[in-house]
Amino acid sequence: MNERPLALVIDDEQQIRKLLRILLEEEYRVFESESGRQGLSDIAARRPDVVLLDLGLPDMDGMVVLKRLREWSRVPVLILSVREGPDDKVAALDGGADDYVTKPFESVELLARLRAIQRRGAVGPDEPYFQAGHLAIDFNSRTVSVSGDEVKLTATEYALLKVLAQHAGKVVTHKQLLREVWGPNAEEQSQYLRVYMTHLRKKIEISEAREKLLRTESGIGYRLVIPTRNR
Amino acid sequence: MNGSISKSIRAAYSRHELLLAATATAVVTIFSLMLVPLTGYVAIALLYLLLVVLAGLKFSRWTVLLTAGAGAVLWNFLFIPPRYTIYIEKIEDLMLFAMFFVVAIAMGHITNRLRESQVAQQQRERRTSALYELVRQAGLAPDPDTGLCAAISLIETIFGVRAALLLRLKDHTLSRTPHSASSLKMDPAALDGAQTAFDRQTSVRQLTAAPHQSEGRYLPLKAHTTVMGVLAVAPARKKSFDAAEIELLETFAVLIGTILERDHLLEAFKHAEILEASERLHRALLQSVSHELKTPLAAVRTGIDALASGAMIENKKRVTIQEIQSASRRLQRVIDNLLNMSRIESGAVQPKLDWCEVGELIEAAVDLAGDSLSEHRLVMTNGSNLPMVKIDQALLEQCLCNLLLNSASWSPPGSQITVTARLQDSLLVLSVKDEGKGIRESELGRIFDVFYRGADARPGGTGLGLAIVDGFVRAHNGNVHAANRQPRGAEFVITIPVETLSADLAEEFA
Repeated sequence: MNERPLALVIDDEQQIRKLLRILLEEEYRVFESESGRQGLSDIAARRPDVVLLDLGLPDMDGMVVLKRLREWSRVPVLILSVREGPDDKVAALDGGADDYVTKPFESVELLARLRAIQRRGAVGPDEPYFQAGHLAIDFNSRTVSVSGDEVKLTATEYALLKVLAQHAGKVVTHKQLLREVWGPNAEEQSQYLRVYMTHLRKKIEISEAREKLLRTESGIGYRLVIPTRNR
Repeated sequence: MNGSISKSIRAAYSRHELLLAATATAVVTIFSLMLVPLTGYVAIALLYLLLVVLAGLKFSRWTVLLTAGAGAVLWNFLFIPPRYTIYIEKIEDLMLFAMFFVVAIAMGHITNRLRESQVAQQQRERRTSALYELVRQAGLAPDPDTGLCAAISLIETIFGVRAALLLRLKDHTLSRTPHSASSLKMDPAALDGAQTAFDRQTSVRQLTAAPHQSEGRYLPLKAHTTVMGVLAVAPARKKSFDAAEIELLETFAVLIGTILERDHLLEAFKHAEILEASERLHRALLQSVSHELKTPLAAVRTGIDALASGAMIENKKRVTIQEIQSASRRLQRVIDNLLNMSRIESGAVQPKLDWCEVGELIEAAVDLAGDSLSEHRLVMTNGSNLPMVKIDQALLEQCLCNLLLNSASWSPPGSQITVTARLQDSLLVLSVKDEGKGIRESELGRIFDVFYRGADARPGGTGLGLAIVDGFVRAHNGNVHAANRQPRGAEFVITIPVETLSADLAEEFA
């Protein structure tokens, strides 16, 4: 039997750790750390496949843990915090977190997000095909099709979709999208991003679909959702 | 008006005036010498008397006395026989001479008094109008800072000085930094002078190094109960102040102090009002919210206890779990509302404006409202035809969502809820209409108040939803209002000033 992946929970609240263990144990082996310092050394020692990090830790802020961690590790990190302001989320995502879930959370949602960030860790950007619901992308021929019909995208629209697809399931911040599609000088030009997202949506989304493929995260960025039901 | 109050007094001693009096005396004497063969020497006395009266109207007391003396001597020497001696022969001439002297001095004195009282009157008028100007410009200014700027520039023009204001700080010490409108530079010595004036509550005089060793004055801004700061002045052109100027400056200082004290008390009063309002809020919070928090919590605990007790059939278990889920969502909604409201109340809501598509905003708000709208027919306008607007999408999403939830809870299942958006000049207008029973006229003005709940509201709800809409919309400098529709239903309209960007413009960026 293939061994289950290891999830490391860094949280100072014992109750949360206990419940996360119950929730995650179906799919993961779970290890708990109750402080930032201990969490960092546990990551180094145990090499987890995914990290769930709380921001309000007693010894050091979760953002500092994230920063230290990113100096040497690319392990997928999901921030699990009560801080719900867009600023906190953007700071964490731009600081190298792979996703952000606020407490209290829906269990199903948390598991889906964890799967998404892990998938990215495993697959990487060199996969030539991408599919989510009715959308299919062939990165080699640069073709995009919706329900089997090819859709014509402009170069910018394609570049935008490609970034979102490469991070499918995860929220990509405005800044990150602007930087990757338009270059580092465009980080503040969010109005262009809005316009192209609107165009892109018109072209690739099917209006009858109950769930939207490109979801807006207000004040943070966009997420290409991988539909769970349709597949 | 520049320096004119002191000028009339100082001019009294000028050489110019003596010269003028001497010239006039000489002219009268020459004229009299020509006239005396025709009129005789007695009439000449009247000419000298006339001169003294005129001098009394124009000149200061000492000049008038001198003129009177000179007139008497000249009349005696040149005209009273024997002429060209100071010797007076006849007894009646001696009497005439003595009477001339007395009358001249008396006349001079009386006319001079008259003139002085007139000058004093003018001074009083100028003073009154200066004080009036200060009250009008500084005391009735829309905000304290504008008032202080006006006071400084008024003092500078009226007295021809450079002035600086040092204000009392919150910890009741004197600021070391002059008010920004001050034109007088405060070096450390000047600051010490001001500090002394502040501590001793009396005006302090000091020689300043610049310009040219002129006099610096530091006047405490005395108010009813305390000293509100110090007014520092230095003459711009001359070296020192005279008594009248200093008296008026002191009055100015007291007036400014009183104005400052008034502003200070007003602020304290406002602060007290805010405290009282927040106390009221606290009480309402305890009453309304403790109920709203405890009800779902009770549901959660009861449900969990039931599950814990074991023996439950699968079907019942599922229902119980659903109840727990819905209660915990309700609990979260209450907590979110409370947190949002406290952010609004503490003024911590700073919209983060960013470009946003209106259609997306509406859809996101509908998503946020979730299952609560499932029993209603929802009609949305297509906002994607509108140009992009610069707003805080997260805040407005919450606003629209709250309005949708409000409409859903006040209108019957199956009825229609309409969401529309349009741009009117540079105003974004968002509207939510329902087909419910509408709002009572008496309640229209109060529904956006914190913790206000309709008289016939359904159980549940904190009375915060609409107050949060109001708070978030205000943070955007917009407003929200409610009205009843014909034949039934209510309409809520959010109006926000926005920057817009049409999609074509943005495409240049490709």
